[in-house]
Amino acid sequence: MKRLSLILTMVVIFGLLVAACGPKPTPEPEDKLAEVLARGVLIISTDPAYPPQSELVEGAERPADTKCSSDQRTAAELQGFDIEVAKEVARRLGVEPCFVTPNWDLIVAGGWSDRWDISIGSMTITPNRMEKLYFSQPYYTTPAAFFVHADNTTFTQPSDLSGKRIGFGVGTTYEYYLEGTLEIPGETIEFVVQDPVIKPYDTDLFALEDLSLGDGVRLDAVLTAQPTGAGAIADGMPIKQLGDPVFFEYLAAAVDKAAGKDPIPLILRVSEIINEMHQDGTLQRLSQQFYGLDLTSAAGEFDLDALGQFNQ
Amino acid sequence: MATEERSLQEPVPTSDPDLAVGLALVRRARRQRIIETIKVGIVWIVLVALLTFGLLQLRFDPFYIFQHFGFVVEGVLTTIGVSLASISVASVLALFGALGRLSRNPIAQGVSGFYVSVIRGTPLLIQIYFIYLGLPQIGQQLIRMGYRDLGELFTLSEIQSGILALSLNYGAYMTEVFRAGLQSVGHGQREAAAALGMTRAQMLRRIILPQAIRVIIPAIGNQFIAMQKDSALVSVMGVWEITFRANRFARKDSKFIEMFLVAATLYWILTIISSWLQSRLERRMARAYER
Repeated sequence: MKRLSLILTMVVIFGLLVAACGPKPTPEPEDKLAEVLARGVLIISTDPAYPPQSELVEGAERPADTKCSSDQRTAAELQGFDIEVAKEVARRLGVEPCFVTPNWDLIVAGGWSDRWDISIGSMTITPNRMEKLYFSQPYYTTPAAFFVHADNTTFTQPSDLSGKRIGFGVGTTYEYYLEGTLEIPGETIEFVVQDPVIKPYDTDLFALEDLSLGDGVRLDAVLTAQPTGAGAIADGMPIKQLGDPVFFEYLAAAVDKAAGKDPIPLILRVSEIINEMHQDGTLQRLSQQFYGLDLTSAAGEFDLDALGQFNQ
Repeated sequence: MATEERSLQEPVPTSDPDLAVGLALVRRARRQRIIETIKVGIVWIVLVALLTFGLLQLRFDPFYIFQHFGFVVEGVLTTIGVSLASISVASVLALFGALGRLSRNPIAQGVSGFYVSVIRGTPLLIQIYFIYLGLPQIGQQLIRMGYRDLGELFTLSEIQSGILALSLNYGAYMTEVFRAGLQSVGHGQREAAAALGMTRAQMLRRIILPQAIRVIIPAIGNQFIAMQKDSALVSVMGVWEITFRANRFARKDSKFIEMFLVAATLYWILTIISSWLQSRLERRMARAYER
């Protein structure tokens, strides 16, 4: 009797756990692209920490007829350049875009366990990331630039920052640049800053916040995307850009190599769509809308085949 | 207590001088209590004023808070839901953990001791990453071995991963709480139960647990209050609870102080409500033992 009730309790608990996980229909499709098309939903990861690429919308209403599950976000709940690109890609695939919002470091780490299909999140193509991910044709480029406090008068060019304290977001290309290990396919990079004291931050914006405390209070400079710095200046932060951009990044969509189903057809189809969007001027229009300048032309001419992603 | 209150509500003029003295004493004690409460209240008001003054020295825009706090408030239900689900599962884990620690069975003792040691010895954030990133890899191994349905169970959604991590973590800490509660029941109670011919399970269910629960419940309340704040860690997986909403919304206009103030205030309000519920529950639990 006593044993029985104990066993019963455990069975009930186990049952609840199983029920919580829910029965998942066994998928039929052969590859990721077929799975997305059959599902009618493209699950896209985006970290809404990087305006104006991706940011939250206040007071958004979920469309009543959405196919997104309750822990996914509909297109109405987010906005920004990446989100517009993602919506357009999904539209041309003929499916609904649904978004999930894990931290950026979880997205670039790869090994997504099929929680989402694709990242459309301004990810720079780097050899490191190519070990875990397949990249699409880039949809725009971002100039990376140093920012210093507005009161500073001693620095006139990026090379003056050698040996100084420089902030950046963890896991970003700016980190690799400061370490001197950044490689961008199709670009020769000059490491003009020698032996900086590197100060990692959760995201670039926290670094900018610390920089704005005062010249040299916590940081001497921050290395981040030019549009990010320009956005912070527009929001009233007392900082300024130092010299010309130090390198350009090619930003693309990416899929997980370790996905349960072959992701190559999906990334090839998305590359096709992005090329169409370059040619018909969609991307240029969106770039003008969000950045006030055309950041897309160089990305359209990028030679994706030169990466040799699928030669294994 | 109950009878005293009733007699205070209807102060019948009584001829019994002893009762009159007693009532006067009760009234005086009550008046003193009220005065004390008022004094403490004044100290609180002064402290809140000082805190507000301190916060006003920060560079922030109160009007922005007023316009946008609603977005963060929408995360309150998620925070409460995750915390409630986790504390429930954690309580079950803690009960089994404590029984294991007190058991004479070497396997049960070893398992629960190991569980408490590993979980208490590692940070919650790392446990969250292990469950979110690591479990699906075990699942994929299982799928490769042919156990597809079982393997898919290992890929938990972000909310499920968060609840599992919080439950495992708090379950370990609460194991000690439950153990203390079970041990607080006098040995005589066990002997009496054994003398009546109860089995160990009967003894546990009818004699030990009902008495232990009185010690355990207030501690669970305390853990629940702590958990509401620790649930902020699940934001790393993109669960839209209070901290995620505050943090990510702040980036839109670089209004970090504003949004973090909103989040902090919400957590504080949740804590005040929980503490109040906890003290009510405690009083209720203590009722049977009042003289």
